[in-house]
Amino acid sequence: MSAVTTPAHQASGGVNVKVINRIVIYGLLALFALFYLMPLFVMLVTSFKTMDEIQNGNMLALPKAPTFDPWLKAWGETCVGLTCAGIKGYFWNSIKMVVPAVLISTMLGALNGYVLTKWRFRGATLVFGLMLFACFIPFQSVLLPMATILGSLGRFGVTLQNSVGTSFGLGNPTVNLVFVHVVYGIGFTTLFFRNYYEAFPTELVKAAQVDGASFFQIFRRIMLPNSMPIFVVTVIYQFTNIWNDFLFASAYAGTGDAMPMTVALNNVVNTSTGVVEYNVNMAAAMIAALPTLLVYVLAGRYFVRGLMAGAVKG
Amino acid sequence: MAFLEIDGLRKRFGQVEILKGIDVELEKGGFLVLVGPSGCGKSTLLNTIAGLETITSGEIRVDGRAINDLHPSKRDIAMVFQSYALYPNMTVAGNISFGMEMRGVPAAERQKAIDKVAKVLQIGHLLQRKPSQLSGGQRQRVAMGRALVRDPKLFLFDEPLSNLDAKLRVDMRIEIKRLHATTGTTIVYVTHDQIEAMTLATKIAVMRDGEVQQFGTPAEIYNNPSNLFVADFMGSPAMNLIPATIGTSGNALSVVLQREAREPINLPMANAPAGLSAFQGKPIIFGVRPEALTDPEGAERNASHIATADCHIEVVEPAGSDTFAVTNLGGKGVVARLRADANIQPGTNTPLAFNLTKAVFFDPATETRIR
Repeated sequence: MSAVTTPAHQASGGVNVKVINRIVIYGLLALFALFYLMPLFVMLVTSFKTMDEIQNGNMLALPKAPTFDPWLKAWGETCVGLTCAGIKGYFWNSIKMVVPAVLISTMLGALNGYVLTKWRFRGATLVFGLMLFACFIPFQSVLLPMATILGSLGRFGVTLQNSVGTSFGLGNPTVNLVFVHVVYGIGFTTLFFRNYYEAFPTELVKAAQVDGASFFQIFRRIMLPNSMPIFVVTVIYQFTNIWNDFLFASAYAGTGDAMPMTVALNNVVNTSTGVVEYNVNMAAAMIAALPTLLVYVLAGRYFVRGLMAGAVKG
Repeated sequence: MAFLEIDGLRKRFGQVEILKGIDVELEKGGFLVLVGPSGCGKSTLLNTIAGLETITSGEIRVDGRAINDLHPSKRDIAMVFQSYALYPNMTVAGNISFGMEMRGVPAAERQKAIDKVAKVLQIGHLLQRKPSQLSGGQRQRVAMGRALVRDPKLFLFDEPLSNLDAKLRVDMRIEIKRLHATTGTTIVYVTHDQIEAMTLATKIAVMRDGEVQQFGTPAEIYNNPSNLFVADFMGSPAMNLIPATIGTSGNALSVVLQREAREPINLPMANAPAGLSAFQGKPIIFGVRPEALTDPEGAERNASHIATADCHIEVVEPAGSDTFAVTNLGGKGVVARLRADANIQPGTNTPLAFNLTKAVFFDPATETRIR
């Protein structure tokens, strides 16, 4: 019997150690989560308070009489620079810039990944290696050369406008930003898709070839429908990056009507006239952060889904 | 003129030659099996026929028409892949009709073709399912359905059974054979399993290192292997390849087999192959299949030439339908196949009958057959 009781005794000692381990782990996790969520909490409660309450109350206290006014003011009335029409216009600027930039860079990345893995050509690995460099380029270093290029494109746009009657969007700040983000996004999107397609069964492509599907038919009918997980990852990554970008936005569309959300938010907060309306600033910041949150909530569930089940023996 | 003709086909990847001049041909309605160990180039050869790999030189003709430069979809072939390669985003019906859709076949006609194939393969109830909802055997059927629906000139199978478990593999093997018999299609089939090769083929090409070692009917390959590799690769249990020397017995040639601690066995040859006389006194490899080495009562009655010799039995393996006995000749373990109820004990000396009409001889230096 002793042979049975001894391991049981050891096991109960093990349980104690386990409990302590759990407490330490979850305690640390809770602490980090608190650190992470505290600023968000302060922003959220402040955005629902009146200015009186902010000036006289505790920063962490919940709003006594929650009000949506700061949100409405941020959206429709607050001053960005000298114009006082809220941030809504800039919000749409960002949407107009982010959606095409994300879709174009993601599709190009998918196409690149498809070619680099399923239509290998001589030097494909080298090309991929060079494309990876795009991921390591510090964006500050390309600000000036890119400005020069955008300037040339703009002048070309003017020439087109004069001769053909349309500039095809060349020189438009929003188009410029889309262009810049697509160019600098391709490195990442190609990396994502290339690695995903590397593990994608090549026999599916061969089968489709035998079935008579063309290069783009295979891409559209076979590759893309089976790329949901990596597609979602890429879209979330690109959306967050491009939406949150401040450097390119302020450099190439820092003034005027095409200004994206991030730059506008900066201008709202940096207003030097009058009282600093913390509640409006916080509400504006929350509005600026909402789309990325929304993308996570809507697309996050596809992250986990393994859509490749059943393609090959499984 | 044969239906499928492959002439001097070569395939090179950089400096490495994968296929070194393949010459194979197959009659219409034939079943060609390409068999060999992994890395022998059999799958590459199949891919070149499909057009999924380019060729360096040579020609592939189907029904008299050279197809080497045609796109895979223009070759009038259908292929069943090792992993089945079903499109996971489409239903079974979608998988089967995808090729027709790509060729612009009208929807009504596609439906008719799907129904017909589904009936042949008994997958009618699965048509609306996705591949992930199918079992291995069902996926295999769908993959075959996708090939069948094209009604192509040539079917290509790339190790289609290797992902199935042993029992299902035997069932599907029979099914493929039945399909071949009923539809009369021409099939090229790749496998590393020599039993599949023997059971399915009308012609077998045994390959090694990018070369066809022997090309012939299953019976030719089995009974008349042209070299040591083919003899060793085909057949299960494998052929006994025993080092021996050629001596004389009276005025006939004989095979001398060394035994442990006893005088050698001297088997007189009544009708030795002509080439063997040059090897008098020299070492050769004596090949005899386990079923040609048996107990005297179980020996083939109508075999013209049987020699009996006493052998020391080391191990006895009853396998149910047969009993295998292992003895030692020429320094190697030699397997004899006896009747299931043969009365044989390990550690005893028992007479074994050598069916010398079935025996083959190889030159140990060149590994080729002595004829």
